[in-house]
Amino acid sequence: MKRRKFLKTLLAFFSTATLVTIAYPAVRFLSPLKKKIESKKLVINRNEIAAGTAKNMIYQNEPIVVVHDLTAGFLAFSRVCTHLGCLVNYNGEEKRFICPCHAANFNLEGNVISGPAPKPLVRYPVLVKGENIVIG
Amino acid sequence: MFERTRQWIEVRLGIKEIIDSGLREFYLPRGAGFSSTLGAVALVAFLIQAISGIFLLMYYIPDTAHAFMSVRIIMNKVPYGWLFRSIHMMGSNIILAVLFLHLVVTFYRISYKKPRELTWISGAIMFFLIILFCISGSLLSWNQLSYWSTTIVTYIPTLIPGIGGRIAEFIRGGQYVSGSTLNRFFAFHVAFLPFTLVCMAAFHLFFIGRTGFSTNPGSSPEGDSEPQSVYKREINANGMPFYPDYLLKALVLVMVYLASIFFIMTFFPGLFQPELATVQADPAMTPDVIRPPWYFLAPYQIVKLIPNKFLGISAILILVFIFVFWPFIDGVNERNISKRPLLRVIFILSITVWLILTVWGGY
Ligand code: FES
Repeated sequence: MKRRKFLKTLLAFFSTATLVTIAYPAVRFLSPLKKKIESKKLVINRNEIAAGTAKNMIYQNEPIVVVHDLTAGFLAFSRVCTHLGCLVNYNGEEKRFICPCHAANFNLEGNVISGPAPKPLVRYPVLVKGENIVIG
Repeated sequence: MFERTRQWIEVRLGIKEIIDSGLREFYLPRGAGFSSTLGAVALVAFLIQAISGIFLLMYYIPDTAHAFMSVRIIMNKVPYGWLFRSIHMMGSNIILAVLFLHLVVTFYRISYKKPRELTWISGAIMFFLIILFCISGSLLSWNQLSYWSTTIVTYIPTLIPGIGGRIAEFIRGGQYVSGSTLNRFFAFHVAFLPFTLVCMAAFHLFFIGRTGFSTNPGSSPEGDSEPQSVYKREINANGMPFYPDYLLKALVLVMVYLASIFFIMTFFPGLFQPELATVQADPAMTPDVIRPPWYFLAPYQIVKLIPNKFLGISAILILVFIFVFWPFIDGVNERNISKRPLLRVIFILSITVWLILTVWGGY
């Protein structure tokens, strides 16, 4: 009986070890790749965005919107709605970002004015250098 | 804790009864040795292919512009990507070797005889399905080797007079191997083939379940050579229980299977990946030497040897036909190969010729 118990424990040990050696690479494989471009900046020509309009683009794998406002100048926000992750659109007339999913509204500062979103939109620093705008 | 969970499930589902009636009391003939577990090993090998394949799908991009790069990224950037890719790629070759062995053993024991003809046919179809898996899968990495060997392999149908060209065009999705071929092969590899193979495997297992395991008639007292006219399942009452005896035996061979994958992966990583496989496919440049994969060398050599193209392809089709329907072609009832000299000669001759053609085709 003792021998049987020993063998059972041994089997349990080896099975667990095998399982872990398979599970570890699997989990690592499935976890998202780390972005290596963190410090990269996005440079665009300021003429690309006329005053009063906005342009959607991708920055560091994230959809962003760059707004050219007459008074506030150039602003950049993540388009990912802080409610459930739909992509917001800029409405130039109302000067708001509106989420098509559950109608969350954000102002030009990215703050929530109405709707279910709990947090403001993520904002990115923008620098105007001559003819160029540098984001990030 | 474990015991309590087990008990909880047991009370509700009665797993023990299933194990007792379905597995413990499913007996194999007494002579069943390791060679009887090759089918089980192939099944596990296929599961491993399926799981590693699903993993690869998460990073692979089936597009001519990105396919090669995405495989590179899997190999070099994705954590442990090399592991899953290598398991999948090596596994696809070794699974074929396991199937070859399984076939040879089944043939040698004349296990395909009544009542197991359907088991043989379903197995033979699965064998071809796995070859199709290998062919379609190899193109997906979009390297020079896979591109040009696909060109060769998909050229074979053109040897059929008349409709051959159309068939090849249909397979390639165009006149040449191109992005359409890649998309076709991808769909085939990840959707059509797995589904078909699972169905076939289900039939195969069902047939085995109904007819019972077969073994070498020489080593089993229950070998039946007398003709049978009503359905009868081999009970083998004092044989070896499927669980745990058979499964443990199979487990040992599964370990050997895994060990050989890791052995090749460690000591011969380039065995199935020669240099050409590390260069992106270039449809504008045929490499100097190009050969189909090793399992295709023999038929390729046959086509090369027979000067008349139509005769070449016919020979291959006839061989395939004979292979699939062999249980009906072999009309003798005797199941002991030592008492069948002619069959023994056919057996040894076909293996030898196959080996010679394979080696020859490699040069
Ligand atoms: S996801 Fe934007 S409001 Fe719900």
